[in-house]
Amino acid sequence: MKKKKGLSVLTPYLYIAPISLILLTFVAGSLIIAICFSFTKYNIITPAQFNGLYNYQKLFRDSKLHLSIINTLKIAVIMVPLEVTFSTLFAILIRSRKDTLLGKLSKAAIFIPVLSSSAVVGTVWKAILNGGNPTVKTIFGIFGIDPTMLLGSSKAAIVTVAVLMVWKGMGYYMIITLSSLMSISDSYYEAARVDGANAWHLLTRITLPLLKPTIIMNTFLSSISAMQVFDMVYTMTGGGPSMSTTTLSMYAYQLTFKNAKSGYAMAVSNVLMVMILIIVLFQQRFLKRDASEI
Amino acid sequence: MKKKLLSLLLCASMVSALVVGCGGNKNSDTEIKTETEEKEATTLTMWLPPLDQDTEGNFSKLLADWEEENNCKVEMEIIPWANYEERWATGVAGGETPDIGYMYVEMYPTYISSGLVMDLSDMVTSADYDEYVFLNRGEMMDGLYGVPIVTGVPFVLYYNQDILDSISETAPETWEDFARICEKATQDTDGDGKIDQYGYAVGLNSGDMSNLYILNSYIYSLLWQAGGDIYTDDLSEVAFNNEAGVEAIEFFKSLQPYMPENVMSISGTDAFSTIFAEGKAAFGVTRSSSSNETTFASDYPNLKNWDYVTSLKNVDYGTFGAADCLSVMTTSENPELALDLIKYITGSEFMTEYHKVAPGAPLTKSEPYVGDPKMERIVTEDRDKWRPLQAGPCGSEILENYAAHIQSVIEGKMDVKAALDESAKYGNEVLKEYYEENK
Repeated sequence: MKKKKGLSVLTPYLYIAPISLILLTFVAGSLIIAICFSFTKYNIITPAQFNGLYNYQKLFRDSKLHLSIINTLKIAVIMVPLEVTFSTLFAILIRSRKDTLLGKLSKAAIFIPVLSSSAVVGTVWKAILNGGNPTVKTIFGIFGIDPTMLLGSSKAAIVTVAVLMVWKGMGYYMIITLSSLMSISDSYYEAARVDGANAWHLLTRITLPLLKPTIIMNTFLSSISAMQVFDMVYTMTGGGPSMSTTTLSMYAYQLTFKNAKSGYAMAVSNVLMVMILIIVLFQQRFLKRDASEI
Repeated sequence: MKKKLLSLLLCASMVSALVVGCGGNKNSDTEIKTETEEKEATTLTMWLPPLDQDTEGNFSKLLADWEEENNCKVEMEIIPWANYEERWATGVAGGETPDIGYMYVEMYPTYISSGLVMDLSDMVTSADYDEYVFLNRGEMMDGLYGVPIVTGVPFVLYYNQDILDSISETAPETWEDFARICEKATQDTDGDGKIDQYGYAVGLNSGDMSNLYILNSYIYSLLWQAGGDIYTDDLSEVAFNNEAGVEAIEFFKSLQPYMPENVMSISGTDAFSTIFAEGKAAFGVTRSSSSNETTFASDYPNLKNWDYVTSLKNVDYGTFGAADCLSVMTTSENPELALDLIKYITGSEFMTEYHKVAPGAPLTKSEPYVGDPKMERIVTEDRDKWRPLQAGPCGSEILENYAAHIQSVIEGKMDVKAALDESAKYGNEVLKEYYEENK
């Protein structure tokens, strides 16, 4: 009996041991390493030398870093509202036609880009925009846009990258929203209709309020992914023109692999980590408040 | 209970698999090593990018005799260009360094100052300098750090003879000729009110092969032709914002009306292949190859009548021609044997055969030229018109920034002098920091 009790005490720990080991080794471990190396002069090739707060002091006078932070925030400001709005909108539209062929096709069409590799998507879009294809030119021409100029100006390039990130990531948030919508009982809508509610009332009084926690979660998830943009920028613009699309992740990559300044790159990565941490803390606070309201 | 026990056992086995998987097996390593040592006397490792369709296969065939003669096994790792530098950085960080490495100029400063690349000055003789015709191009940072293996393929200015004939012009020799022809060639040929034939097919998108490709293709040539350079001779400061540097970029900017409107969107390689090679521009720049006559005929069927100018002349001649080298790493246990292998690979016997499958410039006096006749003058009469970069500290950092500022100039965001001064200020700060850290 004693033996049985001992086993049951250990059981939960044994269950979580594999994933805990993986997390400790590869997440917490690398985080600690990044923090430690950020206090060193390290170029990957030779042993790290402790240099105190030098890398962190440098953060304040590094104009390229400041530009990278601004670019990252610009992408987030464009990307997050568009991604959340469109994913919610499409989820609602698809839910109302969930059993039709159009609904199923639309769901697949919007979700497929999520499954594609960002690097491939970036390369393909670059080819589409710069390829000089007459059909592409005509389609963009309807909106008065020359597609070949979209990646060529500092102002247009960052918007183009952000919009394509929205196209690529929207399906993921749409599926989350769609699953949330499925859990809303039809009886709410039926009762409202009996009371004379129209489609607008159903949307604003039932659907959106009940989707609030999902929308908040999508907003924060989208913000985090906007902070980490790398592949699409790398393949589409390489951070240019004139560094106008160099994001924090891209800058940290350049510092590590092109400039042999890994110690400083880790300090830059820690800035990114702090930014994401702030977002996560806000998210938790919002979700808690929202849960208590419900 | 059975299910519980089974799941616990599974969990335990996953944990042990993780621990065992992450750990090393020293005993088996030692056993394998001992067996290997008994069978083979020496192993040399070599890291290379893909230099042709089947670099490992082609090299292995040609190295067989040398391996047998020296009782040595050559282990090659072919690393894709896209992550070449990353592989080096992560490999070295993990304590894994080859005996021989293929390196290009931008890589050298970091690895030389880290003490990883062997100075071969005392290991080569004057006879070597006599035989290996490009050996002096492996000299950098007060030493000889590599033996050139890929060189003689500079970026040259190609021109469309048909377009030049149509405007009664001949091949340009000077900047004035070039600007005049560009202006005359930029035309609306079908009368729809839009320019459809350009003077100069240029692409400045950074995403293709990084910003450095912009410099390789279009900027170093103008900078050197204007009499300027990237660094001062003692490498203590950057020099690209002096009078010559400003003149070069102002000239480049003055050519913008003759470039495609989407110059900032397209990459340099796309500008060449989709504009120049399609007969829509008088001039285009790309890296030359001794097999261009053959490859252009199959790759660019619309480009019928072309030729090239190795370099224009202003104050001087000059265009960028890489001198990628094979280097011996200081961690090699057999540096003499490693150098012997490098000399064999870059020597006449190996390269005469290798250049039949992957055409290139002869690297030694005794190697015959086997490329297309049209391209031969690059390595004969025009040999002094191209050169590699100065290998200076913080190269990539300074050059990437320089290229970004040139993009700002072409975009119209900054004027030439202001852009170059800002870029030079950044470059000098980076250099100052480097020298202070490496006192």
